[in-house]
Amino acid sequence: MSNPENSSVKTTNPSTANMPMSRKNIVNVNHLRKVYGSTVAVDDVSFSIAEGEVFGIIGPNGAGKTTTVECISGLRVPDSGSATIYGLSPKNDREEVRKCVGVQLQESALPPRIKVWEALDLFASFYSNPLDSRELLETLGIANKRNSTFKKLSGGQKQRLSIALALIGNPKIAILDELTTGLDPEARRETWGLIERIRDRGVTVILVTHYMDEAERLCDRVALINRGRLIALDTPAAMAAREGGEVHMQFVPSGTVDDKVLSALPGVTSVEHRGSRVVVAGSGDLTTIVLYALLNMGVQASDVQVKSGNLEDAFVRLTKTDDSPKKSEVSKQ
Amino acid sequence: MTTQDSKAAVQKPQKPFWELVKVQGKLALREPTSLVFGVALPVFLLVIFGLIPAFNKPLAGTNLTVFQIYIPILMVTALIMIGLIGLPIPIVRDREIGYLRRVSTTPVSPTKLLAAQVTINLILAVVAFVIVGAGSVLIFGVKVTLEIPGFVLSIALATTAMFSLGLLIAALAGTQGAANGMAMGLLYPLLFFAGVYVPMQILPGYLQTISYYTPVGAAVKALTSTIQGNFPSPIPLAVMAAYSAFFSYIAVRYFKWE
Repeated sequence: MSNPENSSVKTTNPSTANMPMSRKNIVNVNHLRKVYGSTVAVDDVSFSIAEGEVFGIIGPNGAGKTTTVECISGLRVPDSGSATIYGLSPKNDREEVRKCVGVQLQESALPPRIKVWEALDLFASFYSNPLDSRELLETLGIANKRNSTFKKLSGGQKQRLSIALALIGNPKIAILDELTTGLDPEARRETWGLIERIRDRGVTVILVTHYMDEAERLCDRVALINRGRLIALDTPAAMAAREGGEVHMQFVPSGTVDDKVLSALPGVTSVEHRGSRVVVAGSGDLTTIVLYALLNMGVQASDVQVKSGNLEDAFVRLTKTDDSPKKSEVSKQ
Repeated sequence: MTTQDSKAAVQKPQKPFWELVKVQGKLALREPTSLVFGVALPVFLLVIFGLIPAFNKPLAGTNLTVFQIYIPILMVTALIMIGLIGLPIPIVRDREIGYLRRVSTTPVSPTKLLAAQVTINLILAVVAFVIVGAGSVLIFGVKVTLEIPGFVLSIALATTAMFSLGLLIAALAGTQGAANGMAMGLLYPLLFFAGVYVPMQILPGYLQTISYYTPVGAAVKALTSTIQGNFPSPIPLAVMAAYSAFFSYIAVRYFKWE
């Protein structure tokens, strides 16, 4: 991983978009644009994905995440710009691209009465060098469902089968779109473990999600797409640190606290009282500074909670600031 | 990845198309719409008709027995059922649930899935023809002088016309509900014009003329000639060919993968 401090890639400039790994780029998206009727779904999006990376694409609903990966997998043809995989175009080299890309689609089902093993063997027959379907089912923890029909599977089992079908062709790249949507928390966590195992096998993963905890936990880098445009590209940690906003510290003081003293502390931007609690917002090493000041006042702090900006905060802030100037632009027209 | 790769090498490469046919075939047996309507219904009618003594008497104004008249009608009935229901409904379903799209992300073209679906229904249609034909002759002792090349040509054209109609429904119906609606709307008129309710020979002339220009009426007309030992007249053959071309054109033009 390179130093997150160097990554001033809030906006879309592919040349400055830093690669956290010094491996070669295998997916290149260049000035991608896709229009549906009068709606611009994807607008001038560019990024590269390195081999072995787990690359997250995050953004609000309808931001163009799915359209972007559909252009990469070849399900849609871009109106302008390009998406290439190992330098191949999904449109012109249809078969070659599909051989090395496994896709898990959002909201795609199988015929209700197909059995798990039949679906896997069928999809295995589509590839020249497929994985062993039994072993794959073992890995995915649904080996005991081999003989079940698709309609009898639970939501989580269907997702696992869907992932299995994306991996059966032994792909170099797996595109997983909203794969934990609709899963219960336990199944989500299991699925995360699974993606980590896929990555450990050397598969490059493109993960579309609107769960920030998922992106934070799994992704080496995330691209934030809002209203069709790429507005930030970084490691989740760097994005959270830079755009996540202030640190919030709260505590219950044992006696009276002089707000003025706290406000004057370096880095502190606001001091608020909420019932018996004091909430201090600011940046830097807030906790240490505040606790030291309290100690000097002779006040003890109990039930101390510290919340620093996370990817979700960064997401909210970035999409909000991206949305507001655009709205005024629209109203001017 | 090494363990996975070594396992992969053991697996024999399979032909995707035949794997698709195999799976689509199993699905067709598990959801036996095609089987029940396309094969069982004509066979059921065959048994009933064969057991009615009056059906062995010649129909007034023709030199054929009622049972003989019904042989082509039952074959066309099988085609109507398969064409309207067995072929299009699973295709529309597969599109509606995103399965066609899912297949199109693999190296195999989803066209192969459609071809597999057509193949399965073709097999069922042939099974229905064989049971109706062989059953009439071997079990119920019907005598026919079959004009074989004419029969093969007629049944092939009839199959093409009704399968094109099925693909047309698959192309135009956005949902399974719409496909069912279209199938039901067409089912009764087609059964009527094929002569399932009453053979055309005993209906007024203008209805016979209309029937003659429907794909099913033309099919029955052509097939009836062939079981009397004659090569069918070119008009019903041309009618079936024209419908096939027309339905296929619309189907190809409007078919959507998602």
